[in-house]
Amino acid sequence: MDSHQKTVLDPVTLQILKSHFEAAAESMAYTLLRTAHSAFVKETEDFTSGLTTPDGQTFASPKDLGATWFIGLDYAGAIGAFDEYRPGDICITNDPYSGFVCTHAPDMHLWMPIFAGETLVCFAVGHIHNTDMGGAVPASLSRALTEVHQEGIRIPPSKLVSAGVMDETLLKVMLRNVRMPEQNWGDLKAQIASLKTAERKILEAVARFGTATVIAGMHGVLDLAERQARRLFASIPDGDYGFTDYIDEDSPGGVPCRLKLTIRIAGDEAVFDFTGSDPQLQSALNMPTGGLPRHILPLVGYNYVVYSLDPTVALNGGLARPVRCILPEGSVVNPQHPAATGMRSLTCVRIQGMVIGAFSRALPDRLPAGPAGGGGILNVRTTDARTGRLAMASINPITGGGGGAAEGDGLDGSNSFLKNTPVEITEAEVPIRVLSYGLMPDSGGAGHHRGGLGTQMTFRLATPNSVVTARNRDRVRFSSWGAQGGAPGATCGFTRNPGTPRAEALGNTDVVRCAPGDVLSISASGAGGWGDPFTRPLAAVLQDVAEGKVTEAGARAYGVVIAAGALDAAATGALRATPRPEPQAILFDAARQEFEKIWSEAAWDRLAELLFALPVEWRFFMKHEVFAEMAADAQAQADPVAAIERGFAAAAARHPQIGPVTRRDAA
Amino acid sequence: MGYRIGVDIGGTFTDFCVFDEASQALATLKVLSRPDAPGEEVLHGLQEIERRFGMAPTEVSYFTHGSTVGVNAIIQGKGAKLALLVTEGFRDVLELARLKIPDPYHLFSRRPAPLVPRDRVIGVRERMNPDGSTDTAPDEDSLRDALAIAEARGAEAIVIAFLHAYANPAHERQARAFLNGLRPDLPVFCSAEVWPIVREYERSITACIHGAVQPRVAHYITRLEQALAARGVPVAPMITKSNGGVMTAAAGKTRGIEMLLSGTAAGAIGAGFVARQAGFPRVMSLDVGGTSADVALLRDGMPDFRAGELVGQYPVYLPTVSVSSIGAGGGSIAGVDALGVLRVGPDSAGSVPGPACYGRGGVQATITDAFAVKGVLGAGELGYGAVRIHRDAAVAALEGIGEALGRDGAAAAEAVIALAVANMYREVSRLFSQVGEEPSGYALLAFGGAGPMLGCLLAEELGMAAVIVPRTPGVLAALGGLLADLRSDFLRVVFLDVAAAAMPALAEAYDGLLTEARAWLRDSQGHRGEALVTVTADMRYRGQSYEIEVPLEPEWIAGGAHARMAEAFHARHAEIYGHADAKADVHLVALRVVIAGVTPKPALPAAGLVDSQPAPEALVAVTHGGGLLQASLFRRDALPPGARFAGPAVVVQDDTTSWVPPGFAGSVDAYGNLILRRGEG
Repeated sequence: MDSHQKTVLDPVTLQILKSHFEAAAESMAYTLLRTAHSAFVKETEDFTSGLTTPDGQTFASPKDLGATWFIGLDYAGAIGAFDEYRPGDICITNDPYSGFVCTHAPDMHLWMPIFAGETLVCFAVGHIHNTDMGGAVPASLSRALTEVHQEGIRIPPSKLVSAGVMDETLLKVMLRNVRMPEQNWGDLKAQIASLKTAERKILEAVARFGTATVIAGMHGVLDLAERQARRLFASIPDGDYGFTDYIDEDSPGGVPCRLKLTIRIAGDEAVFDFTGSDPQLQSALNMPTGGLPRHILPLVGYNYVVYSLDPTVALNGGLARPVRCILPEGSVVNPQHPAATGMRSLTCVRIQGMVIGAFSRALPDRLPAGPAGGGGILNVRTTDARTGRLAMASINPITGGGGGAAEGDGLDGSNSFLKNTPVEITEAEVPIRVLSYGLMPDSGGAGHHRGGLGTQMTFRLATPNSVVTARNRDRVRFSSWGAQGGAPGATCGFTRNPGTPRAEALGNTDVVRCAPGDVLSISASGAGGWGDPFTRPLAAVLQDVAEGKVTEAGARAYGVVIAAGALDAAATGALRATPRPEPQAILFDAARQEFEKIWSEAAWDRLAELLFALPVEWRFFMKHEVFAEMAADAQAQADPVAAIERGFAAAAARHPQIGPVTRRDAA
Repeated sequence: MGYRIGVDIGGTFTDFCVFDEASQALATLKVLSRPDAPGEEVLHGLQEIERRFGMAPTEVSYFTHGSTVGVNAIIQGKGAKLALLVTEGFRDVLELARLKIPDPYHLFSRRPAPLVPRDRVIGVRERMNPDGSTDTAPDEDSLRDALAIAEARGAEAIVIAFLHAYANPAHERQARAFLNGLRPDLPVFCSAEVWPIVREYERSITACIHGAVQPRVAHYITRLEQALAARGVPVAPMITKSNGGVMTAAAGKTRGIEMLLSGTAAGAIGAGFVARQAGFPRVMSLDVGGTSADVALLRDGMPDFRAGELVGQYPVYLPTVSVSSIGAGGGSIAGVDALGVLRVGPDSAGSVPGPACYGRGGVQATITDAFAVKGVLGAGELGYGAVRIHRDAAVAALEGIGEALGRDGAAAAEAVIALAVANMYREVSRLFSQVGEEPSGYALLAFGGAGPMLGCLLAEELGMAAVIVPRTPGVLAALGGLLADLRSDFLRVVFLDVAAAAMPALAEAYDGLLTEARAWLRDSQGHRGEALVTVTADMRYRGQSYEIEVPLEPEWIAGGAHARMAEAFHARHAEIYGHADAKADVHLVALRVVIAGVTPKPALPAAGLVDSQPAPEALVAVTHGGGLLQASLFRRDALPPGARFAGPAVVVQDDTTSWVPPGFAGSVDAYGNLILRRGEG
């Protein structure tokens, strides 16, 4: 191909190349899906595949296959670990602290250079979530872990295959340290097959279009996505759009973790500033980003927002170019080694919602209210009474719906790529009896457009020594928000033996040991409503009641009075005629409002200032000390900032070894 | 001696394929479909056949027929108004489906609205255990209440889908008997009788689709039978099925669910016949119509079968000939967005208004218009004279695209075609990587109105060496129906370990299925000829949550050869996934039997090949690769078996136009199929 195409590729050729790149990425994904061994790949689809430029920018990913979080993941940190690549090299890493490509130890990332003759054209990349990488607990993941060393063996960026020769020692060491080596090895082979598929497809494209054109196409599709994103920012009014949210517990049984985001839009660019988010945690909820300004974890929600506003955008790393994240060192969004990171997904999900919330302040009519979540992913381990064998099964993700929006009600029951497990399969495989599985009435926030309902599941265990795990539970204390006058959704529930004298609220517990006959009832939170519920058309409310999505009692939140199945038109008219509160752009739930009477924004900001001035290892400890002081401070609500300072001073006085507190710049 | 007729009713055209048993000649016909009066087009076609070919309805000896009446009922939401009775506590089986949203990146992505809204999904007190034993028998008060709610909400029919009904249908049947006692005229369908698979959503949605289409399908078939009889057709019509077979009209009246996707299935069967005839063992069929392009992979003429194919937005889990939609059709619309990005589809001009060049009011540029501008279309008539090409309208439409792209209309047309082909390339690549094969080992069989126009271009992009254009590319589904065997699927969920202890239960299940299958063929279909039985099992490793279908030998079951069965599974697993674990426990979830009663086939004679190089009828100017070429124009009728020609060429016939780019060489085989081979380099 002639040289001028190196710089300028016509838009039609670019679109044609884009199809070829996507075909390569999708063929990689299907190869992986087909040949992988583990359920994580085959059913949960917790994997990625893609293509990056030689400097690590992801320019192609499959759109409807695999995990949806990692569009545009930057491989520079991994690729840069080696000065030189040769044909036949295949590299791996699963270390969350080497280059910040991998984000928790179960994710094994691979990258392989693709050469056309002497020219390094691109890298084929991808990861899978291994069921186990060794470490303190089976599956390597637990909220309770505090150091990355507990989360399994870590392979720093390494050439597993060097110019076609496998490093058998590395492989042996890795497989020696995991609980199900055959499964890991099987999946690794599938990953390698997937990379080779990409190589075949890219070399086909090179043969058809020429090396220079293919290379120009890679950059062209990235540039296209960048232009599309910049165009979007330019259409949004300049300004600061903030959003704060919490994780219920910053560690098992802990206190809330605050996450704070300010999106500053100026022209066709934006800064995502996470200053004010909590210090890194003594639990596995930390998000390892290395402070990289375009790390994918804080930008997952951004990709969703951009795509939802314009589904024609090219989903690749170019979308992130107009964005710069500020991720304070030593915080939950940029922890220092060796903070544990295994459950960073819970934090990431919360931030996804916050990004939607912040953008909805700028575009209230184009984005939904708060999404549901926090139900957890249920697994059970027990013995099968019939066979005496160990029985393990993934029961179901307990999911919730999408937020109401200007365009309509939120979708009930789910808002993600997760699939459920049929009740018939669960009951045939593990000795549990499912008593009910379905939508949770009244769980969606009331609104002109209702928030999506959460799901609930109730089941009874039949055999001794049963352990039920519910990973990623949250939203028991604080719920999703309503928008433009809509109400927040309901919180999550988790109860053992509900409706009996032995009933026990399990809150955010994520591991429950059960006795035979125990009944567990678990529900996800609902999503927030959009717009004043008193303006919801009567027919829509009545339909919801007829369908049982809203109860007769629940209809009152819409100003609709129904008694014994019949609409009381007069009472409804009277109720709907009562004066309405001024609709709030964002409305948080009552528990959060109550909590923030003491833990106000100013109080949290002051606490963050004080904590980030401390050495990293003191921050989490002192946060909890201050929480204890605040709980004991009867005057806290009168002046929360002063109470924070009092509490901090009292705690600091108890621990003089911290030394004089001098401000260290956190950002 | 008589005439054998296959009919396929599509959205725009109804296709007829007529085989004269005396002369062994095949004739074809297209008439416009009548969605407003289904069945009228069939009668119209019979009239035309008599008028044109002198074949009287009274001489028809065999009649097969595929209709979209069932699919349309679902797509247009005009099916019967259903109530769904479920096990108490599981009212959201349709609402939640399998949870996953169709487009997980999109915050407003939606699953389709449930086929039965939640106010007509009613819980009933009953419970079956997974082993088929009763936990709680259906409660009559609860059923009475459910009936009252269903009637109050206007239900016209009831579907019962209880948990674990695949293991034992007794609760569903008891409930139906009770409801029948109360309301003898209210139709009631049981999920395990519609299709007894395990997985409650999959079984329930299949049963609901059946319940929704059944009244319409039955009514339609009854009317058709009467109308054919009134015209003196002496045989009852056969109905084509989604599984590539046929069944009697009487069976069709109670098994509406089985005919929903028969059009694409019959197309694949017809394509498979042509592939075998032309001697290509591995073929990808490409059927491009106005709004979509459908692809099937054929090995030795046989398609794959798959469950979960979509009817409208809803999946049906009966075994169905696997045909994948790859998006673009001839009517797919091209556009340029604000950033100068060209797109083709997904919007389509459909048949109304259709492409701009059809002169029916369409103004937006479509793929068909691009071919008109290119010069490929317009040299002959399309659609049996139903459509004339207005090239001016196409040029005007493409000029708009050209302006937005900063190039002339001809270059814009090339761009639209190239992008459409690249999009198809992407979709086809997905299909091949799903099955772990390479497209280069396949030939492309192009049919449908727009398939032969795009076939060579797509073959080039995919690295395929040959393209086949059948003699009658417009009526392959009608031909497929004419060739189809009586065919039915039977399944039983057993959940057994593949081990000695389980073999008696497996043998019993097999005997039951075989008895059922033979009774179907003999009693329901009245078939006395040859019967083919195949046995397969849905198997998996213990702990896996998906099954693969493994062919079994009947002797293994009868002889208790569990080790052979396990070996067959390991081998099949390795074949599909590239690995197997001979030490792991193997689980057999369901046993399947397929019975086929062979129907008489038209024997199409091979003509002698006479080497010839016919002179083109004319030369036409075609733009290609930025330049202008003089392409040979041939009429298909003027290309006898043995004829050879070189691209660039345009081959026109009544129902399609083939584009043969430079570098392709064409020849006609003994059956009249056009074989286009890509040259080296």
